Amino acid sequence: MVKYAMAIDLDRCMGCRACMEACKIENNTGRNIFWMFVFKQESGEYPNTTTNYMPRPCMHCDNAPCVKVCPVGARFKSETGAVLTDFDRCVGCRYCEVSCPYGVNYFNWREPADNQYYHWGKGEAEGKYGTADIRTLANGSISPYRNPTLDEPHGAEKRTVAGGGHYVGVIEKCTFCVQRTDKGLDPACVANCPVSVYTFGDLDDPNSSISKLLASRSSFRLLEETNTHPRVYYLGTPMPLEHRKHLENISV
Amino acid sequence: MAQLTRRSFVKTAGAVTVVGAASLKLLGADDLFIETLKPVLPRASGKPEITEEIVHTTCWIGKQDCSILAHVVNGRVVKLEGDPDNPRNKGRLCPKGQAQIISFYDPYRVKAPLRRVNGKGVPGEWVETSWDEALTLVSDKVKEVRAKDKRLLVWQKGRSKAEPFYDNAFVPASGATKLHHGAFCSDAGYRANEYTIGFNGVLHPDFNHCKYLLNWGWNIVNAGGNKLCWITFNQQLLDARGRGMKVVTLDPWKRGAGPHTDEWLPNKPGSDLAFFLTLSNVLIERGYVDVDYLKKYTNSPYLIKSDGYLLKVDGKEQVWDTVSSSAKPFDAAGVNPALEGEYSVGNEKVKPAFQAFKEHIAQYTPEWAEDICGLPAERIRKVGEELGQNAMIGSKIVLDGVELPYRPVGIAAYHVTQQELGFQACRAAIMAFMLLGAIEAVGGLRSDFGRKTHGNFKSLDEVQIKDPPYNIWLQNSKYFPINSNNSSLVARVSQDPGKYGVDYTPEVLMIHMSNPLLSFADQKALMEWLGKFKFTVVIDPWMSETADYYADVVLPAATIEKYEGPSSVNDGYNDGSVIRTPPMRPQFQSRADIDIYIDLCERAGFLYGKDGYIDKLNGSLGLKDPYKMDLDKKPDARDIFDRWAKSSGIGEGVKYFENKTVANPKKFAIKDLYAPAWNPPYGGLRHRLYGESLKRYGEVMKEKGTPENFRRDYTPFPTWRSPTMDSSPSEYDLYLISHKKIMFKQSRSTSNPLLKELEPNQYLEMNPKAAEARGINDGDEIVVESQNAITKETRQVKVKVQYAEGIRPDTVSMSHHYGHWVNPNVKEVGPAPNTLFFSGEGYVQMTADQSFQVKVRVTKA
Repeated sequence: MVKYAMAIDLDRCMGCRACMEACKIENNTGRNIFWMFVFKQESGEYPNTTTNYMPRPCMHCDNAPCVKVCPVGARFKSETGAVLTDFDRCVGCRYCEVSCPYGVNYFNWREPADNQYYHWGKGEAEGKYGTADIRTLANGSISPYRNPTLDEPHGAEKRTVAGGGHYVGVIEKCTFCVQRTDKGLDPACVANCPVSVYTFGDLDDPNSSISKLLASRSSFRLLEETNTHPRVYYLGTPMPLEHRKHLENISV
Repeated sequence: MAQLTRRSFVKTAGAVTVVGAASLKLLGADDLFIETLKPVLPRASGKPEITEEIVHTTCWIGKQDCSILAHVVNGRVVKLEGDPDNPRNKGRLCPKGQAQIISFYDPYRVKAPLRRVNGKGVPGEWVETSWDEALTLVSDKVKEVRAKDKRLLVWQKGRSKAEPFYDNAFVPASGATKLHHGAFCSDAGYRANEYTIGFNGVLHPDFNHCKYLLNWGWNIVNAGGNKLCWITFNQQLLDARGRGMKVVTLDPWKRGAGPHTDEWLPNKPGSDLAFFLTLSNVLIERGYVDVDYLKKYTNSPYLIKSDGYLLKVDGKEQVWDTVSSSAKPFDAAGVNPALEGEYSVGNEKVKPAFQAFKEHIAQYTPEWAEDICGLPAERIRKVGEELGQNAMIGSKIVLDGVELPYRPVGIAAYHVTQQELGFQACRAAIMAFMLLGAIEAVGGLRSDFGRKTHGNFKSLDEVQIKDPPYNIWLQNSKYFPINSNNSSLVARVSQDPGKYGVDYTPEVLMIHMSNPLLSFADQKALMEWLGKFKFTVVIDPWMSETADYYADVVLPAATIEKYEGPSSVNDGYNDGSVIRTPPMRPQFQSRADIDIYIDLCERAGFLYGKDGYIDKLNGSLGLKDPYKMDLDKKPDARDIFDRWAKSSGIGEGVKYFENKTVANPKKFAIKDLYAPAWNPPYGGLRHRLYGESLKRYGEVMKEKGTPENFRRDYTPFPTWRSPTMDSSPSEYDLYLISHKKIMFKQSRSTSNPLLKELEPNQYLEMNPKAAEARGINDGDEIVVESQNAITKETRQVKVKVQYAEGIRPDTVSMSHHYGHWVNPNVKEVGPAPNTLFFSGEGYVQMTADQSFQVKVRVTKA
């Protein structure tokens, strides 16, 4: 049985947030929704300051609190170990969001057309700088770069679990890119990282790069004391917990 | 119904509870529950029909055109991924590379050719025209002005893409005066490198072997080098760090370098020249001098007369030969030239240039530099000592059987050279690395990847300073003998052309992918200048501020969806070629830039025949027979690339690039990679420790009556003086510097909402202690006021403060990526620092390069 996990080398991260962008486009997530988020923080006082970058995807916990609280079985632990959301079952109660200690859940407050940066569905820009029918730009797809394969059933369970921004009123979060791992590809963040911060693979395979990496270097997981058993391992220098300040804002 | 899903449940309920939905509204909820009735896409039963293809293309935002695999599903691009075959990006993309996908579908692009129907200097009122009408309108104006006087046609393009088509073919074919962007980028560094060591670039390390990197003023992990985009630079940086390379950062602000710098030297803005002069002082004092390199490959042993000019016999520079104790031509057989001492030749007292340099820098001790740089003397001394030790002067390394000098000490720098004393500061930095013998040594300083010397080594040494009249950018003038072509200065000159000896006013302006109002300093002067043109055309995918306020016609260009190139994949160690191919047809009514140029040239009457656009393209693309284009037959872009590919030995022609990535890939051989292994070494150049021609220019300028502040930095060795900004009154107690971010790059990315989402607002980065002393809290809106120390003019903007511990308390910084007000995506994001910077005397370098430093004060709004 494949057992997916991710390792994140904090000593390599450059804080560029290319992973956030790759995730966003791969999964068609909406405005201010970041299944992958990179924290950029500064601590210390001039001139003795340190800067830290820390990517944070879903931890895909083996003892996931979000799965336990879901009243309709929409949030589930898949066969590969990825924690997934069945968008057809989710009733938008947001219990998962409350129960998660890592803040990885995002609720879709807006209808899909409003959820994206351009209002393709409304054609607001149609008459500006020349005319064009914005709605037909991509045969009505929202966003126009949305990959239709996201609508297919995915995972061993064949449920509607891939991508984001499907409907208003559902919760969503990182899926370890189930539509990619189904094809044997790495998740979008892992595949795109310009400086190879991430390692992804099967913990049950002792010869996988992640098994070897975790065997050779010390690692830690976030909030291990909460007994969540995350599948995301961090290597390198942890982010300081005190006297820290976010560097550069983001529109969340 | 096999399974009651939430959607189908609500659908059923919704049909009978219309009243319920209305009462939800009354309770303050929105259409949330009703909207769930509408899935994004109607789900057909069974699998949707999907056809997917992969198109090989390249990035269109960054400087290096990373290779991209565009995933096209049912005719739509759904994802851009890095192509693993390009050594520059190895299958990865930066945030810009990923986010540019949204530009294909940006409804705020210019969707059709537009013609202005209102006056200029205010937001445009536009009517849509046909391409035919727009091209005729533009080409008639171009034709008319060329018939009158070609100098009246001015052309400006943003950062270079496909230079063979635009800069190197359209400009010579049209006879237009080309304005550059480099004086705002890093051209002072380019000029310093070209002049001093004959390489075209700023400062870049040999990452494959470097062990100690001096990171000068550079946001090392969020920016990239002058030859590379961020992505390649950082891959190489991390590999070097993995091998144990130490990084020392010289910068008033630590920025992104945070986790990847071992030591931070927060120097005062504008003090860099003093730092590097002091570094040379320490190196010489401690004996870290590569005598062998200096004697053989630099002009250090050339004898200088008491008047400061080189001793020449029969036009040949002389050295003091220690074997025969006499002056000999520098290239005489068997000479062993002296670097130090004073000698007599005839009646002339002479000394080697190195001796003069040693005397010149004796004054620049670490203690002297302490206050100027704001750094403790012992820390400057320590860097000098560490550089000296790590340089391992005298050591050799054998790579692939070639024995080479080994100096694993490097320096990285780029935009930091755009400060008032930037040319000489960069020259001083190079000179310190010359002392170490690190120029082009293994592990040392490599400014250029082209692996050949640059013609400017000679031409910048032989400038003939003319008397007026001058052209609009004062080429070969008594003001800027070395001149990087600065548009802000052009704007200032246009305010009073007679004062600068310019006797004409241009009439037609063509702007291609550039937004002068935002990109260049001194918005006020630029607005006056743009208002003077009788006709302006802008070629751009978006409505820029410049276009909206000053264009008569806007022609919509495509983004990635076109043929363009060729680009190199040179990462410093490998080479090859790529071109951009269209993954979709140009969106809306936009067209490929190359096709627009071909049509314009045809209609304006200079496409065909000798010296026409086609003829110039044959030359600029280096097309060989039988692939040269007929001078009387109109080509299209794809056809041109087909010829170029075949002419370059790619048998398949343009199809190669439509199916694969890199053509003619090669790894540089060691004998080509390092200039000491060339035949002759360093291309036969003698690196210029002593800048005799700089001295000559200064004296000619004086004779011609050039005011002192234009000529005072024309000295043969870099010489410290306080920057002009330091004479602003003491209430202007902060230095304003500017910075760039990995998320943005010029006009191509600033209007991208996905990138804007990552960095939505402008902030003034400010040290918390400095802010608290002024009663300013994190996030407060404040007024920043800059002051021109010469004209006493002041300028103000309002901006929010962001606390940053990693910045000097006497320094504040603003990003260059904000200040737009036209595109709906980027409105109200905060001001541009360019509205606070000045152009003209005191804020422009001896090379006409822009300075991005000014004294400011901040007060609560």
